[in-house]
Amino acid sequence: MTATRLVIGLGSPDRGDDAVGPVVARRVARLGLDGVAVIEHEDPTGLIDLWVGADVVVVVDAVCSGGEPGGLVVIETGADAEPLADRAWARTGRGGTHAFGLAAAVELGRALHRLPARLVLVGVESSAFEHGAPLSPAVHQVLDAAVGAVVGAVAGALTAVGEPEVTVDVSR
Amino acid sequence: MSHKLTDGGQVLHVGTLARVEGEGAMHIEIDDGKVTEVQLRIFEPPRFYEAFLRGRAWTEPPDITARICGICPVAYQFSSCMAIEDACGVTVPAAVQAMRRLLYCGEWIESHALHIYLLHAPDFLGYPGAIEMAKDHGAAVERGLRLKKAGNDLMTVVGGRSVHPVNVRLGGFYRMPSVADLKALRPVLAQGLEDALATVRLVSTFDFPDMEQPYTYLSLRPEHGYPIDTGSVVTTSGAAFDVRDFPSHITEFHVAHSNALHANLDGEDLPYVVGPLARYTLNHDRLSPLAQAAAREAGLGTTCRNPFRSIIVRSVELVEVFVEALRIIDGWRDGVAPSVPVPARAGEGFGATEAPRGVLFHRYRLAEDGTILDAQIVPPTSQNQPSIEADLRTLTERWVQLSDHDLAHRCEEAIRNYDPCISCATHFLDLTVERS
Repeated sequence: MTATRLVIGLGSPDRGDDAVGPVVARRVARLGLDGVAVIEHEDPTGLIDLWVGADVVVVVDAVCSGGEPGGLVVIETGADAEPLADRAWARTGRGGTHAFGLAAAVELGRALHRLPARLVLVGVESSAFEHGAPLSPAVHQVLDAAVGAVVGAVAGALTAVGEPEVTVDVSR
Repeated sequence: MSHKLTDGGQVLHVGTLARVEGEGAMHIEIDDGKVTEVQLRIFEPPRFYEAFLRGRAWTEPPDITARICGICPVAYQFSSCMAIEDACGVTVPAAVQAMRRLLYCGEWIESHALHIYLLHAPDFLGYPGAIEMAKDHGAAVERGLRLKKAGNDLMTVVGGRSVHPVNVRLGGFYRMPSVADLKALRPVLAQGLEDALATVRLVSTFDFPDMEQPYTYLSLRPEHGYPIDTGSVVTTSGAAFDVRDFPSHITEFHVAHSNALHANLDGEDLPYVVGPLARYTLNHDRLSPLAQAAAREAGLGTTCRNPFRSIIVRSVELVEVFVEALRIIDGWRDGVAPSVPVPARAGEGFGATEAPRGVLFHRYRLAEDGTILDAQIVPPTSQNQPSIEADLRTLTERWVQLSDHDLAHRCEEAIRNYDPCISCATHFLDLTVERS
């Protein structure tokens, strides 16, 4: 059954900073947030099916939007929100298979009327996507902050739809 | 964006080419209405897979080489398995080969569905991309996503993951799916077959530019069935040879403008083509009756040499792999050993399978203890680079009077005909046209 509150870590676990989505998702899963499902996923085109039935979705992914590596970018969107700005997050992580990345998946979901009511995209500015490489030091340093941003996004989004806030200690 | 040169010529930078995989650039020079130079410049840095496979254990290439590509990892896994098993003198049982074919069907479904609906169809329906197309053709895009999910589901059940399968090992699999696992997939695949047939009907209504490729086509041809997971090599020029003779017929060579090796067949100057058109043209008789009927209704003959019609051929191949997947599932029995041992020995082995975009060849030379002494990987897009350039030369001359924007768009379409996976890697291609 699809959870109504969902955190998705997007990216390849074996391509440098592209792993930041799955790594952050794994840490969020260890927090054991009540009623929040956490999954890892590699293929952006699968997101539309993953978030079917979910009211609140947070996707964390590596992004290359021009900021300093390790920077965090949070975009709030959802079924009733305006489309993402043109070229926003045109390059997320590796861009997915054949350049079909997170931003494209979100806008495709919007075109098909298959976006969750609230969707929060948490991006970690990344720079290195070599095969087999670990996370770069800049990205590794902000893992706790990224976990906090994801949890904050879940909490903020839940508050916005009238749910109780989620309080967690991200240092756990 | 256009820039006037001081000598009166014109240089055009035409943005980025989206919806292909790989980093590179297209450079076209036009002089007095004649195309004088076409180069597919692949500047994505070489990744040295062949070099760092040296010294690794003979059991490792299926997992290592699968990481070359996120859309065709199964092709890398099975070409490497076949080559190393060949070196070790091992032939896997028929049941293992059948399960490999089933997993490969999943990869073809994922890859072809993505390309047909999200990357290629917008060209023919007049949209800049799938998002814009979805606003007017939502049902069609939903069908494409449903097809891709069917491929993901099949990959997950057989391979353990939808993107990079983790259940593949030398000699077979870590575990075989049960009859119950596979039967549970049947409704998804039956729906997929209906969706694939609808896909053929949809794409057959598109308008296609006239074009006939004069090149040699090359594909695998197995003893039975359509070429997917095995076969020897055949060409439309009449050559037929065993996969172990691939290196004596196919010569890779470096060109200054590309970081990916080009390849030629038997030293010929004319390019050769691998992929859907080659498979179809050389193996139409091996398609299932249902796929043959779908092709016939779509207006295809027994051969197809128009690269723009490759979207129909991919759709027919979608029908074929759903038919195959259902056949294998219906014939599956529990109790099959998941793998056979592949003990190391000194030797050289050769393997080739049909990746969604064409023949993928692997060769390995092993030491007595299984250490890899030498490795060679020849991917399909590398082989197709010369024919992509030749197509663009032909088409640019035909379209030279188009505006820069329209010319760029048509060139992008011509490149997407190949579903190129540039070095089986990342994703941006700049197109530069110089006019003088």
